Amino acid sequence: MKKTLSLLSALALCLALAACSSNPPPPGSSGPSQPAASAPAASQPAAADSDLEYVKNKGTLLVGITNFDPMDYQDSNGEWIGFDADMAKAFAESLGVTAEFVEITWDYKVMELNAKNIDCVWNGMTLNDEVKAAMDTSVPYCLNAQVLVVPADKAAEFENLTSLEGLNVAVESGSAGEDAAEALGAAVIPVAKQADTLMEVAAGTSDAAVIDLLMAGAMIGEGTSYANLTYTLNLNDIQGLESEEYGVGFRQGSDLVAAYNDFWAASVADGTALATGTVYGVQESLLLD
Amino acid sequence: MFTFFASAEFQTVFAALNTGFARTLQLFFVTLVGAIPLGLVISLGSMNTWTPFRFLTHLNLPRPIRRAGGLRPISLLCRFLVWIVRGTPLVLQIIALFFIPSLKGFPIWGGSMSGRFAAVAVAFIINYACYFSEIYRGGIQSVPAGQQEAGLVLGMTRSQIFFRVTLLQMIKRIVPPLSNEIITLVKDTSLARVIALQEVIWMSESFLKGNQGYAGLIWPLFFTAVYYLVFSGIVTILLSRLEKKLEFFR
Repeated sequence: MKKTLSLLSALALCLALAACSSNPPPPGSSGPSQPAASAPAASQPAAADSDLEYVKNKGTLLVGITNFDPMDYQDSNGEWIGFDADMAKAFAESLGVTAEFVEITWDYKVMELNAKNIDCVWNGMTLNDEVKAAMDTSVPYCLNAQVLVVPADKAAEFENLTSLEGLNVAVESGSAGEDAAEALGAAVIPVAKQADTLMEVAAGTSDAAVIDLLMAGAMIGEGTSYANLTYTLNLNDIQGLESEEYGVGFRQGSDLVAAYNDFWAASVADGTALATGTVYGVQESLLLD
Repeated sequence: MFTFFASAEFQTVFAALNTGFARTLQLFFVTLVGAIPLGLVISLGSMNTWTPFRFLTHLNLPRPIRRAGGLRPISLLCRFLVWIVRGTPLVLQIIALFFIPSLKGFPIWGGSMSGRFAAVAVAFIINYACYFSEIYRGGIQSVPAGQQEAGLVLGMTRSQIFFRVTLLQMIKRIVPPLSNEIITLVKDTSLARVIALQEVIWMSESFLKGNQGYAGLIWPLFFTAVYYLVFSGIVTILLSRLEKKLEFFR
């Protein structure tokens, strides 16, 4: 009896391992495991392999977003607006298709893209090394910086700081803000989302938080639950770093990148990019060169 | 306080949360409708005694082969499924079911909201059916063998005994453990937001980042507790009523 049992469990284990090894999606190695349809267009310019043709044939550009005021958010009628949303609609129009917005979970943006649930990630995405390794990205179109969010009544204490040593600083796990806070010597508290970092500061469980400048502009201050928070330091300046840049992400090897870059150059040239940016108050941050 | 409930902010958020909770309820009922019968199938499967290789045990063969003759393939398969499903996190099952087919070039779900809902519903039905199946198995095996013997004596067929004697008594016994799972299901629906199904917690979180002109609001997230509490309260009352109705078996 015992022997049979051990034999059975060994068999079960083998089966389970076999199932597992074929199952998990390879997030790091997304390149080789992609379906043939998204093979690099540069080496195989045949129409069948063109991402641009694929989008044109189905007539919709699926734009992967999260709710991110002022880039992609809904107005009171449920219509998607924002700088990124308006530009995405204009880009789709230039291709002769309609833009459809798909809300995704940010952590799974690469999987959503490779699974063809979306055709691009267009949501104020900072072009860091991870993003560039997993997607083909456009030219940068907007600048961003990391700022320190602190309680308004303590803002004076944080002025002219050059280091964050001795402070508990909440950051989004894996974000550019985490890197900045660590580089400046803070005791980092990683949480799941940028929005959660603000809750930490408001509740007093962290001394400060590091989030995106554009997001801080929309999420704290009067009219929000964080009226008593403010942002003081630009951490990129303190570190003497370049500002971060936002870009649009496409599937690896996609010819939509070139199409977008042409579209952006044309929008800058005819002034529509600046006009759209002015509507949403991001005109100062746009890269219009 | 009252003026807050009348405010435009509350009205907007409340409407959005209601839309989200409607999706939560949809998932809850679809899961129950699918998992309650499927669970019974799996539970019968795991109790199945079909032994197609029994002839091996009578042959003059090495011992391990003779032993293997006692294998029950259907039962083994069902128990294997239950082991996999109960042994891995539901959140992982949702992600795997939604992404793996598309990543392998078989986009059966698509990226739309209805596709996401279908994927989540299938994951929930399979997951809860496996838990239910073990509850059913416990319930069926707890009915004394004497009851089935009594049925045989009365000249009932096997299916009559199963439906009129065993199943009827099993239903009464499984209501409390089943209630536990059903109330867990009310709250587990919140896992669906991992693949961006916009249920009530997803909707509340959208007001943190900015939605319909409101950004940086914390209270909607905590306000969702009201929905879960009210609904699980209603479910609790209904289930205890059901339990009372079944008391006449005593």
